[in-house]
Amino acid sequence: MTVFRPPLPTRRHLLAAGALSPLLRPSRLRAATTVPDSPLSAEHALVAFGHVGPVSDGGWTHAHDLGVQAVRARWPGLNTIYVESIPYSADATRIFRQFVAEGAAMVIATSNYGDFIRDVADAAPKVAFLECDGHNVSDNLGWYYITHWYASYIIGVAAGRLSKSGRLGYIASFPIPSVFAGANATLLGAQSVNPQATMRVISINSWFDPQAASQAGAALVDSGCDFLCGIMDDPAYLRVAEERHVWAAMWNTDMRRFGPDSYVSSVVLDFAPFYIDQIAARLAGRWQPAGHFLGLGHGVDRDAWGARVPQAVRDEADAVRTRILAGWNPFTGPIRDTTGRIRIPAGQSMSDAELYQWSWQVQGGAGLA
Amino acid sequence: MPETMFAPGEPPFLKLSGIGKVFPGVIANEDVSIDFRRGEIHALLGENGAGKSTLMNVVTGLYQPDSGEMILDGYGVEFAGPPAAIAAGIGMVHQHFKLVPRFTVAENLALGWNETPGWVAPGAIEAKARALSERFGLAIRADARIDSLSAGEQQRVEILRVLSRGAKMLILDEPTAVLSPVEVASLFDALRRFRDGGGAVVIITHKLDEVMAVADRCSVLRAGRLVGTHRITDVTPALLVGEMIGRPVDLPASYPRARPAPGPDAPAAMVLEAVSVRDEAGVTRLDAVSLVLRAGEVLGIAGVTGNGQPELAGVMTGLVAPFSGRVLLGGAPAPGADPGAFAAAGVGHVPEDRLRSALAPSLGVAENAVLREYRVKPVGGRLAYNAGAARRFAEALAVAANVRLASPTAPIRGLSGGNQQRLVLAREGRIATSVLVASYPARGLDIGAIAAMRERLAAARDGGVAVVLVSEDLDEILALSDRIAVLTAGRLMGVMERAEARRDVIGRLMSGRAADAEIAA
Amino acid sequence: MSAPLVRLAVVPPRRLAVARILAVLATLATVGIVLALSGRDPLLLGRLILRSTVGSRFGLEDLALFMTPLLLTGASVWNGVRVNLWNIGAEGQFYAGATAASAIGLFVPLPGALMLPVMALAGVLAGAAWIALPAVARAWLSVSEIITTLLLNFVASLLVYYLATGPWADHVTNALASTERLRILIPAVWGAVHWGFVVALVVVVVLGVVLARSRFGYETAICGANPDAARYAGIAAAPLLCTVMLVSGGLAGLAGMIEVAGTVHRLQGGIANNYGYLGIVVALLARGSAVALIPAAALMALILDTGIVLQTAQISASAVLAITGGLMAAIAVADELAAYVRVKL
Repeated sequence: MTVFRPPLPTRRHLLAAGALSPLLRPSRLRAATTVPDSPLSAEHALVAFGHVGPVSDGGWTHAHDLGVQAVRARWPGLNTIYVESIPYSADATRIFRQFVAEGAAMVIATSNYGDFIRDVADAAPKVAFLECDGHNVSDNLGWYYITHWYASYIIGVAAGRLSKSGRLGYIASFPIPSVFAGANATLLGAQSVNPQATMRVISINSWFDPQAASQAGAALVDSGCDFLCGIMDDPAYLRVAEERHVWAAMWNTDMRRFGPDSYVSSVVLDFAPFYIDQIAARLAGRWQPAGHFLGLGHGVDRDAWGARVPQAVRDEADAVRTRILAGWNPFTGPIRDTTGRIRIPAGQSMSDAELYQWSWQVQGGAGLA
Repeated sequence: MPETMFAPGEPPFLKLSGIGKVFPGVIANEDVSIDFRRGEIHALLGENGAGKSTLMNVVTGLYQPDSGEMILDGYGVEFAGPPAAIAAGIGMVHQHFKLVPRFTVAENLALGWNETPGWVAPGAIEAKARALSERFGLAIRADARIDSLSAGEQQRVEILRVLSRGAKMLILDEPTAVLSPVEVASLFDALRRFRDGGGAVVIITHKLDEVMAVADRCSVLRAGRLVGTHRITDVTPALLVGEMIGRPVDLPASYPRARPAPGPDAPAAMVLEAVSVRDEAGVTRLDAVSLVLRAGEVLGIAGVTGNGQPELAGVMTGLVAPFSGRVLLGGAPAPGADPGAFAAAGVGHVPEDRLRSALAPSLGVAENAVLREYRVKPVGGRLAYNAGAARRFAEALAVAANVRLASPTAPIRGLSGGNQQRLVLAREGRIATSVLVASYPARGLDIGAIAAMRERLAAARDGGVAVVLVSEDLDEILALSDRIAVLTAGRLMGVMERAEARRDVIGRLMSGRAADAEIAA
Repeated sequence: MSAPLVRLAVVPPRRLAVARILAVLATLATVGIVLALSGRDPLLLGRLILRSTVGSRFGLEDLALFMTPLLLTGASVWNGVRVNLWNIGAEGQFYAGATAASAIGLFVPLPGALMLPVMALAGVLAGAAWIALPAVARAWLSVSEIITTLLLNFVASLLVYYLATGPWADHVTNALASTERLRILIPAVWGAVHWGFVVALVVVVVLGVVLARSRFGYETAICGANPDAARYAGIAAAPLLCTVMLVSGGLAGLAGMIEVAGTVHRLQGGIANNYGYLGIVVALLARGSAVALIPAAALMALILDTGIVLQTAQISASAVLAITGGLMAAIAVADELAAYVRVKL
């Protein structure tokens, strides 16, 4: 069974909890009474998944759907349903409420739905809720997230070696912590082998917009970037890289077939063990709400290297991977922000909880607010 | 005029025998028997609601008769629908043309051909259209778009379309309503040619002079029944009117007044000083017109349609701002284009096209009735609008206008054209304390309504209102007017006293020829 | 022999109601057949939908929450359609109202009792401001309001995305593309339903009453039915048209304020959720009557809610769109057919 490292509470976390103090909650808040703890048989349980995109996206939601399929294989009698493409809007509340109304014992949102899931969880204390990329832990709501920054750092090391210009291009969705962490980790990895490496970021306001991603990728190549990376649910910018003969690193799944010559690696995700673990806990009546970081090698990793990545580069990056697995924290000061100010002093390291909240860009980067 | 080219013994093209048609609560037609013969123009007369339209809808297959039979060329027929009637050679030209405005003439004609090929080449259909035009002697421009044509030209296209489907009997519903006199003459020529070629023509109309001019025989309907069928040579207009309305009502040739007509020194209700109007394209539509409207007189504006009448009425009622010159209203300069101010100053206006410019068809009778007086109590105030008071106002107005209302809240487009006109006239009569401009007030009215309308105008005159009567009907102008002005190409050709007015002089002025010395300018 | 069909100039409301009910039933039957053909049990799904929408307190709450913005955006569009003005920009005005209300709620320290009224006022004014340019251009320059209002939607949407991810972004709880939670929210009246629902109902009824009882309502009705007749009656159309559009913008802005302060609690990208566009459908369903906006919004809410239920029943969201489109087409056809009567022989 996989071990999930629980996060340590940080100052930022306490602040977040304060911001959500009951005073400011809507009047319909009900105090959760009991933790969802009664054991269930798989045949009588309903587990509902709420996806942010279509399961056929070939990226993020597809990765989660593989986890759902693993759950179905593990408990053939278990009722599982999912809804695709849930918008980040009040409609999300409605869908989660509908899950509850249909009798779900456990609701797993595979993306951040913030208040929209929190409100439903508060109103349904008997139901276990898990929110990917969430930040709240209540009596019946927990969260989970992948420590993708380690994989990004490893790929960054390769990027530092592969990029001739030393300029990396990053296609982002929104300036949110996951994107800060992904972009910064890649750049820091690159700077570890090429201190002159820089990164330009373009935000396209979507996780899935192949046309906009292609345009952003082309613009980055035009401005001199010869290594494209980002967090996108589709392989659009990999195709651009293939056409323009630059390198590209991807996210979510192995996408090498869309650009075999340009493909370097990918931050690959595997949620199956975590889902099986959590659902088993719920069925056994011992589920506890908590925050879970899925560590390197336990839900997130770099993909097998691309065909054209030189052996020396693979070896150098994989050596870093081995060090991280052995406990080394690459996010150790001094780390400066874009203004040159030291944000992490020498000798200090960023915890996973801090990395999860990253909201500033490191020196050498540009384009994220 | 040839009586008929065929011997009376030959069977008629279409014989109606005892036709009856009943709608819930209404007998639309009862025991109507008429022969429509080849080589004959047959006028169908009757007041609004006399059953003319129902009868023609039976003939063209839109309705099936409840009783009686139709005999076509000696054989009894039943038309399951309009296509059957068309196939039998009966074609109808409606008052509102059923043409596609954005299509060319040729394309519109092609719509009616069964043999129109699947692939339409402009050249081919234009050639075919020209061939049709020559065959029936109706001049058209095959490549012109419908919306660029005058009403008369559109009507010719409509007639051609009906004829091109092989019609042997042509039914025309009020065909002259939209035509200028020149176009009327050319239409009548075409109808006569069609008749002389052996076709049967049925023409539905209100205008007795046209009946006398073009028809060979006429049938009069009243309250759904046939009153009589006559050879035109056997009747007079007065006799026909008597049959139409059930009593021998003549439209009076004059409306005598209690007091003598006001003289040149009478108070001026409105003065136009060298007023010119240009349209959007910059064309001068009204050219330096000077006029004095005297309180208590009727000023007739004679002229062929389209010679500046809408612009003149517009200037007098505040709808159109003069391009140059000025309008004095009660002695003071009037505001440019401000119909509200004119109405407030006591200027009433019965416009030419009431549905389009004086009524809101989709709104209720009440909303339309108060259009001129919604700003004042009891209907309205600065902010309020009292729907209940508006309904009561509408009911009172309907009583005054002699219109029966089913409901004051029902949309006004549900009323007949005649009743709409009556309501507009009554509404405008109420506010016209100073000037009442009536443009073509008889259009669409039956004889009874025309008589009532004229009496209302005369009553306004007697009440001290300056009445302006714009009409193309010289009889009407001569009957009512104290003075007559002639408008030709936007210019005032002369203003004459009624006593001095002669038809031939007015006719000459209308056609734009120089005024006689005897006409006072 | 078949009786001829005659088109009525005035369709009695009862005929219309019956025709529309038949349209809804026909759509349901079609959907049921399609579902059955694709191997699902339409009756089971139907029961699920009924239970999850009108058949449970939770469903009714959801309906009310859906209805709240639809009532106001529907009123916004309806108010323009009355005068033959097509406000396609209710979506943008919704965003503008939500943005202004959020600005007050987030950054202006006001005492609790004042906060919501001031936010509502800001929402109304911002909605009106967002339509002001198209309104002036339409009223005095005859620039098509359809294009201008539509294009401003995209501006408003992107502006909200910018604010919610940029200067106003919540960096504390890391809510996605959102500002912080508003400090003062519209209080609840019944479960999840807040007073915004009541306000929306009242606004719609008041709008109907005011338009029926005011000189403004009369003059705008004439302008809408026949601009030439309005000119003839001495009604200055341009300021009236402009005012009508500003009112429309204000209504949509109020919808935005209520949505952000009552339902979503944060300004975020996509908060308008197509309510502005759905308002067009609601307005068309309501036809001539303001009060009819209420059942029209209820029907639209029911469709949206059904969409949610169907999604959890593993039916794609696109199918919901298709069902909605089919229903709208059926109702349009029904409206037209209701005008035809078979004349009795």
